Amino acid sequence: MRCRTSDCEGFIIISYNVHADFVYTRISSHVSYISGHGTKGEGMEFENILEVQEKLESQKYISSREISTVVFLAVAMEKPILVEGPAGVGKTELAKSIAKALGRPLIRMQCYEGLDESKSLYEWEYAKQLLYTQMLKDKITDIVSETASLADAVDEIANHEDAFFSEKFIQTRPLLAAIKSPEPVVLLIDEIDKSDPEFEAFLLELLSDFQITIPEIGTMTAVTQPIVFLTSNNYRDMSDALKRRCIHLFIDYPDIETEMNIVRIKLPGIDEILLKKIVTIVARMRDMDLKKKPCISETIDWAKALLTLQIDELSPEIIATTLNPLLKYKADCDLVKRNLPELMAS
Amino acid sequence: MVNMTLRFVNCCRAADLRISTAEVLDVVRQLTLIDPYDEFLFHTVLRTNFAKSHRDQDLFERLYTLFFHEMKSDLTEAENTVESDGFDAVIAELTKEMTADGDAMKQALIDFLSGSPLGYLDLINKLHKQEELAAAVLKSNMTQLSSRLDVMLKINTIKQKVLQFLGSNHAVVDDSVTASIETAVNRRLNSAYDLLTQEAKTKNAGLKKIAHSDEHYTEIGHVPFSSLSGREIEEVRDVIKQLVKKLEEIATLRYSVAKKGAIDVKKTLRRAGKYLGIPIEIVRKDKPLRKGKIVVICDVSGSVWAMARFMLNILYALQECFSKVKSFIFVSELAEVTDVFIKKEVNEAIESIMTDAPIEYQAQTDYGMAFQNFRKRHLADLDKKTTLIIIGDARSNYQNPQDHILKELRDKCRRIIWLNPEQEKFWADGDSEMALYKDHCHEVRACGNLNQLIDFIQELVL
Repeated sequence: MRCRTSDCEGFIIISYNVHADFVYTRISSHVSYISGHGTKGEGMEFENILEVQEKLESQKYISSREISTVVFLAVAMEKPILVEGPAGVGKTELAKSIAKALGRPLIRMQCYEGLDESKSLYEWEYAKQLLYTQMLKDKITDIVSETASLADAVDEIANHEDAFFSEKFIQTRPLLAAIKSPEPVVLLIDEIDKSDPEFEAFLLELLSDFQITIPEIGTMTAVTQPIVFLTSNNYRDMSDALKRRCIHLFIDYPDIETEMNIVRIKLPGIDEILLKKIVTIVARMRDMDLKKKPCISETIDWAKALLTLQIDELSPEIIATTLNPLLKYKADCDLVKRNLPELMAS
Repeated sequence: MVNMTLRFVNCCRAADLRISTAEVLDVVRQLTLIDPYDEFLFHTVLRTNFAKSHRDQDLFERLYTLFFHEMKSDLTEAENTVESDGFDAVIAELTKEMTADGDAMKQALIDFLSGSPLGYLDLINKLHKQEELAAAVLKSNMTQLSSRLDVMLKINTIKQKVLQFLGSNHAVVDDSVTASIETAVNRRLNSAYDLLTQEAKTKNAGLKKIAHSDEHYTEIGHVPFSSLSGREIEEVRDVIKQLVKKLEEIATLRYSVAKKGAIDVKKTLRRAGKYLGIPIEIVRKDKPLRKGKIVVICDVSGSVWAMARFMLNILYALQECFSKVKSFIFVSELAEVTDVFIKKEVNEAIESIMTDAPIEYQAQTDYGMAFQNFRKRHLADLDKKTTLIIIGDARSNYQNPQDHILKELRDKCRRIIWLNPEQEKFWADGDSEMALYKDHCHEVRACGNLNQLIDFIQELVL
């Protein structure tokens, strides 16, 4: 973040003129935070919005200005991003590209119905605990042998119980791994809409404070701030509490121009006229009543297939025979085949 | 700029867009990170923080345009010009003349004219949500319409008053600016009029719309439920019986698989205690079965019932697959029929619903009233694990559709699925309110023949 002092001052004056002292203090403290770090704070991953765009492009991810802006803000504010949009528009890819662009490891957690803490956060390793107690039996006897009564023995053991409820016996799952990681990571919580409401509630602590509470050990706070992405296909609505903790980003199917750019960057050297036809036809298919609409990666697959077959002119027959990378249901293929003339119309 | 943002937030809240203080603080902080004079960035910051689902974005856009573009002159506190003086004079005169009777709507309109839309947005929002009274004598859909008409008339009165004033007060308002003041006033009043007549459409990007179906049965599969002959009804029943059996088998399979999951170390060790620590009995983790709660609201008027009876038949035959099934029927009034299904055998229950339920079968179908009834008496039946299935053609006889209630229901349950026995091409014509209702559903399906019904049931259960 490059802090232009004049702008910041402008803000302070305006906000001070208004009322809300509270707001004023928040801003001023933020300004000092920025200036305290000089031109580029250590925590700042991106200097400006343009840099986000360039870095994403270096990972072959074509990002719109809105996407770059939201990513920039989320990283600067250390807030999670809730990415919404239809399947296959590059929600997951965005998180992956950011991880690659920043050289951070990506920790991914796929959500599904029935996902709970023991699969997402941590689990006690009972077998290991038991094995240790067996092996340490003599040692335990030693400790207890000095004591006079049963109550004393229990107290004595209690003094040592930390040994068995320590991090050694915790099996880390993705969320805890992200919190404990010594190097900063990108955490991707994929398809959060598929999880149960309980899991969503349990995420709240993690998302607002980047900390997790394990009853036997205590609260663990993130060593480094992870960049968190949550993706949703809108299978169900997210709770207000979760939304409040995130920054929101909606990604739609790209327009024809952008999709052409995306295919071009993945398949350099593709014929422009063919490319335009491919992308236009796919865009029209998305408007049809299909069971599953073709996504961007399927456009790329189709283009790749056409290139491999060395086809440079699209005809109804060729489309009808090469639909497989694009459409995954027989009913969809039939529907498209019936409507080929309209799809091909210029 | 903070002040302006805060006022914008107030307007958003008045128009029912929920914004928390934390979000406002976020925006203020984020504005320091970007160049706020670049409108694209400013707009992005506001949108990413205030409209946190795609569904809210349209409403947000509308308010944003209204506040930052249409009400613009109020944002730049320019110096007094002949024009603004004239404008002020007009407002002052209007205030003097029209607010004497203490009418809130008139006051709100004049405020709107002078650049603060808050009061007006609030009143409009209340108006959009106005409910029909359960009238004792004559039922009508006029409550909302008449209130709107009232506002329209007031807008017209103000327009006339302004014209009169401008025409007769040459001394107060300079002639050179009369025309521009008139346009300014008209522009604002027109946008007030638009706000009144055009409700913001909710974008429903996640909506799953299914009109096609797989070919399960070639002949009987395509016959609409409403035109089945006696023999065909029997045939459909047989098919459903088979289907139910098949699905039950799959469900039982799940039960048996559930006992073969990963080893539950905790329980196994506990049992091993009995045998000197040797794990003789191995306990496996039960995989939780997917058992959602289902609430069905069912229109039992004519054509819909033909399909709904089969649907209810299947749901109750498959009760085992869900943790709870509750059902309600309505024509205009709503009644719960869950008990009937508990006491009687499924087919018997379905027959008796058509005669015994405490509703008036001859009444005109009224979806708005049915939703209102449901919200009043049975809202507690919905929770975040409930799937709400509505079976109906959404033909509400031009009564007030009250779709905002459906929106409230959406907030309370996991998913809303609407099954319409009519094919999609008929959804938009006549008295069908499908276009309104589908904005609040997670899934809408044409479900008028056996093939479509089978598709739906398989997806619901498996």
